[in-house]
Amino acid sequence: MISPVLKVRDLCVERSGRLVVEDVSFDLNPESETAVVGPNGAGKTTLVAAVLGLLNRSSGDVEILGCPLACNGDLPPEIRSQIAYVPQSLALQGHFPLTVSEFVGFGFDSPGPRLPWRQRERRSAAVRHALERTDCNDLSYRLLSELSGGQLKRVMLSFCVVRPRRLLVLDEAQAGLDVSSNERFQHLLLELRRQEGWTVLQVSHDLDMVRRSSDQVLGLNRRVCCLGPPDHTLTQEHLTELYGPNIVPYRHHCRG
Amino acid sequence: MLLILKEPFMQRALLGGLLTGSLGGLLGSVAVLRQLSFFSDALGHSALLGITLGILLGVNPTLVLIPFAVCFALMVNQLVERSSLPTDALLNIVYSSSLAAAILALSLVETYRGGIRQLLFGDILGISNIDLIIVVVLLAIALAYLVLTMRAQVLLTLNSDLAGAVGVQTRWHRIMFIVLLAVVVAVSIKAVGVLLISAFVVIPACASRLLSRNFALYMVMSAAVGGGCALMGLLASGMTNLPSGPSVVMVQFFGFLIALFLSNHQLRKRSIARKALHQIPGAAPADH
Repeated sequence: MISPVLKVRDLCVERSGRLVVEDVSFDLNPESETAVVGPNGAGKTTLVAAVLGLLNRSSGDVEILGCPLACNGDLPPEIRSQIAYVPQSLALQGHFPLTVSEFVGFGFDSPGPRLPWRQRERRSAAVRHALERTDCNDLSYRLLSELSGGQLKRVMLSFCVVRPRRLLVLDEAQAGLDVSSNERFQHLLLELRRQEGWTVLQVSHDLDMVRRSSDQVLGLNRRVCCLGPPDHTLTQEHLTELYGPNIVPYRHHCRG
Repeated sequence: MLLILKEPFMQRALLGGLLTGSLGGLLGSVAVLRQLSFFSDALGHSALLGITLGILLGVNPTLVLIPFAVCFALMVNQLVERSSLPTDALLNIVYSSSLAAAILALSLVETYRGGIRQLLFGDILGISNIDLIIVVVLLAIALAYLVLTMRAQVLLTLNSDLAGAVGVQTRWHRIMFIVLLAVVVAVSIKAVGVLLISAFVVIPACASRLLSRNFALYMVMSAAVGGGCALMGLLASGMTNLPSGPSVVMVQFFGFLIALFLSNHQLRKRSIARKALHQIPGAAPADH
């Protein structure tokens, strides 16, 4: 039997005295992609934050790579270094003095204090390789704050790929991207996922993309409304339950 | 001019200015990116309440100021975390109230009425050897902390969830930085004064931010600009017999104007280079 990369059981999360996520259970099998879908305010981001230990949970259990997540969100560093995360946005107001290669280098470093000149050559080589793999070599000396939305998302993937990891979590990573940038990002994500053997948990509003790329869909509206393969979950019945009666599922003819 | 440089008080003042300016610039580099500029201003203003408490209790104000500033910073941090009001409004409420309380309390203290000017604008010429040792130790701690945890500082500034997901102890680092900033503000008050302390934190960092193109250089440049401006301001103050704190801040301001001019010049040059690159077919990469 394959042990799941992520195991969530009866997870409940309260925010400001209100239950935002209630009795959520699911598994992520190795090298699979799971999409979390649901309307705004359904608790998707809260679920992801609780699973990563960024928010305290009220009850339930979370296990990452066989290791239980402590109630205060602590995980052993060797497990933590197996996790990558792509947020919706970065706080890059104005001129932010940080180059792309510096940022990707921080993805290479292990958690905890370190001298900046330690493992310098290994680090630089890893950064160069990661930037090549995400087609960002020409961006290495650019400032993060000078990049377009699509470039920034590819750089975020370089940050994730600069060292081997097992679990990648994306929180509406494609928000704000135009159609072609989104397509390029998803294509790159799929390619890297296959090469790296990542297990992916992705919060998304793009149902077409979810249908094409996910192995499992978790429909969330505080509780789990549906869980299973896209063909069984992205149905008129489930989408009506999640979003109301005006959503019509669109079926793409080919899967990426 | 050379004669005054031979005076021990002036030598201490120059060294103190260099160290305090560097310390303010170093911490300011992170504080400005993390949008804590107003926080350092609030800390500076509230420090007057700490000093007043020291006077009222009959204890050396410097001894009261450090624990007061740390407690105040932690309390404000809690308030900001728990309240749904905007941070700038909360900080404004806290610092104007503490300033008002301090002025009311100071009016009750006969002996300190004459010294209010020194509290407000600082007296770097009165810096002692013990003050210098404290600033050196603090500078060493701040430097070690920021260099060893640069990854944590940058990721926490960019996105606290990203930092937490990859193993940064976000709450610990946030509190640690605020405590360090509070201690630096408390220690620098004597030299710089309540009203001008935030300039020591904010101006060198903003000037360096305009000119730097990588993070390590930005931190070094911010500390160097802070220290260099303090040194030049003190020398100018010695030559012209003008108050030291405001002289330093004016030098910092001129430094900022130069940085602004240079950064606009750099931007123009880069824009011309980019336009030239776009005119060569196939040379410019697509921006998506």
